Amino acid sequence: METAATYPYAANRKTKVQVENLTKCYGDLLVLDKINFEIYQGELLCIVGPTGCGKTTFLNCLSQFIPMTEGSILVDGVPASPEIHNIAFVFQEVSAIPWLTVEDNIRFGLRIKRLPEAEIELRTERMLDLVGLRKYRTYYPQQLSASMEQRVVIARNFAINPDLLLMDEPYGQLDVKLRYYLEDELIRIWKELGSTVAFITHNIEEAIYLAERILILSPKPSTIKEEVIVDLPRPRQYDDPEFVRLREYVTERIKWW
Amino acid sequence: MIGRLGKRLMPAALTTGSLLAFVAFWQVVSLYTNPDFLPSPGRVWDEAVRLFHTPVGGKDILAHVGFSLRRVLTAYLWATVLGLPLGLCMGWNRTCEKIVSPIFELLRPIPPIAWIPIAILWLGVAEGSKVFICFVGSFVILVLNSYTGMRYVDPLLIDAARSFGASRRQQFFNVAVPACLPSIFAGLQNALSMAWMCVLAAELVGAREGVGFIIIQGMDLNRPPMILVGMILIGIVGSLLAASLRWAERALCPWRRELV
Ligand SMILES: Nc1ncnc2c1ncn2[C@@H]1O[C@H](COP(=O)(O)OP(=O)(O)OP(=O)(O)O)[C@@H](O)[C@H]1O
Ligand SMILES: [Mg+2]
Repeated sequence: METAATYPYAANRKTKVQVENLTKCYGDLLVLDKINFEIYQGELLCIVGPTGCGKTTFLNCLSQFIPMTEGSILVDGVPASPEIHNIAFVFQEVSAIPWLTVEDNIRFGLRIKRLPEAEIELRTERMLDLVGLRKYRTYYPQQLSASMEQRVVIARNFAINPDLLLMDEPYGQLDVKLRYYLEDELIRIWKELGSTVAFITHNIEEAIYLAERILILSPKPSTIKEEVIVDLPRPRQYDDPEFVRLREYVTERIKWW
Repeated sequence: MIGRLGKRLMPAALTTGSLLAFVAFWQVVSLYTNPDFLPSPGRVWDEAVRLFHTPVGGKDILAHVGFSLRRVLTAYLWATVLGLPLGLCMGWNRTCEKIVSPIFELLRPIPPIAWIPIAILWLGVAEGSKVFICFVGSFVILVLNSYTGMRYVDPLLIDAARSFGASRRQQFFNVAVPACLPSIFAGLQNALSMAWMCVLAAELVGAREGVGFIIIQGMDLNRPPMILVGMILIGIVGSLLAASLRWAERALCPWRRELV
């Protein structure tokens, strides 16, 4: 690891998530092998790795959907748990709730968390504006396009003011134009709300466009192979020579094919 | 060229057309058969009009429909109140599934009609046994539908709720139950049709009122048109029942409405 580069990056940042010796086996299959890293408060972290290397598995451990075999994940110093922490999760598959309208989908998490009704309304209105779905508030997910549906899910997750937003290849199924659009939207919302975001992808370009810092996973059994700090001004340009250099560097470092 | 109005009227026209064609076909066939074998639509109509004015077995025809409906609805209500929660519970809770499903698998293949003798033995020939038969028929369907509906709830939706820290209770009521509403409704519809079929079977075996009684009475009096009136009544009431539930489903599951 480029520890020398890491230190100034971490200098005035607070640790949000501390992953220690995280190990996960499915039966005999070792997927995650003693992973150690941290996520800092308010950062936009991208995690890249080959398919099947255990990215989804990692998020599932973090949100306690599956038990970990060994190690610990601490959020703000206590073991991660959806009941204690305000963690939001955008799944790899679009998970808008089919029987709720756009606005009720956004209210869904707030209702589960039993927020006061006035607060729920306030946040719902704000999110409707933030993702530009005000006109479609009474639509059902089935009446929306795939990207609109994904925006509903993103709004639903940002609405709970998550301490930590986990996104698992949320734009994997979308075409390039929509992806660019939603990437910009994510950056905008992230800046506006100051959330901590962990964004998983296997698209290197996407990672460099979004991330402040990139973690590269090796093929399974996965470990953290390298950490790359992306210190480019925003909005980033895909044809900026520095962008291209970084992209080629990360591609070179991954070489999972 | 079909205009917009034409497009709206088209389905209605097709429905009426197919019904008319069916009656016409019946008329043609009845011209060439012994009227005791297949009475013509006209004769059946006359019989229906007659039955509306003359009581059968001391009650007029609508009262007979009312008797059958009351049995069906009583049984259906009980089946819903007991069957739906049981099925949902089986689908949601592993322990509940393990306890209930072996018994259920054993009872399931027994057709409701096979319960008639024992029901009469237990509850007598009066109302009790008839309601019981209808109950058995619709109960099994309701349990099965809510059970399978619950089993096939998309785990992603449950996970979405869990990621917000939803309790088991919230996962059940906010996600699982609404997610299986479509299969619950399918169950409610099938169960109602089943109850309606069962009441007739039950009424064919010793009843003094009900639509099934009209059919039996037609047979005893050797009046084929009366039998057919009974059968047509069964058809009409049955499809009205189904239509009312479809309407309820559209009202309660607005996200399933087809949008054109
Ligand atoms: N429930 C499970 N039981 C057994 N093995 C599993 C299970 N879930 C995942 N695996 C295995 O663990 C490995 C990692 O899976 P995971 O879904 O975490 O990969 P991923 O990095 O998210 O891949 P992708 O980029 O395709 O989403 C895979 O080899 C997979 O076969
Ligand atoms: Mg994955």
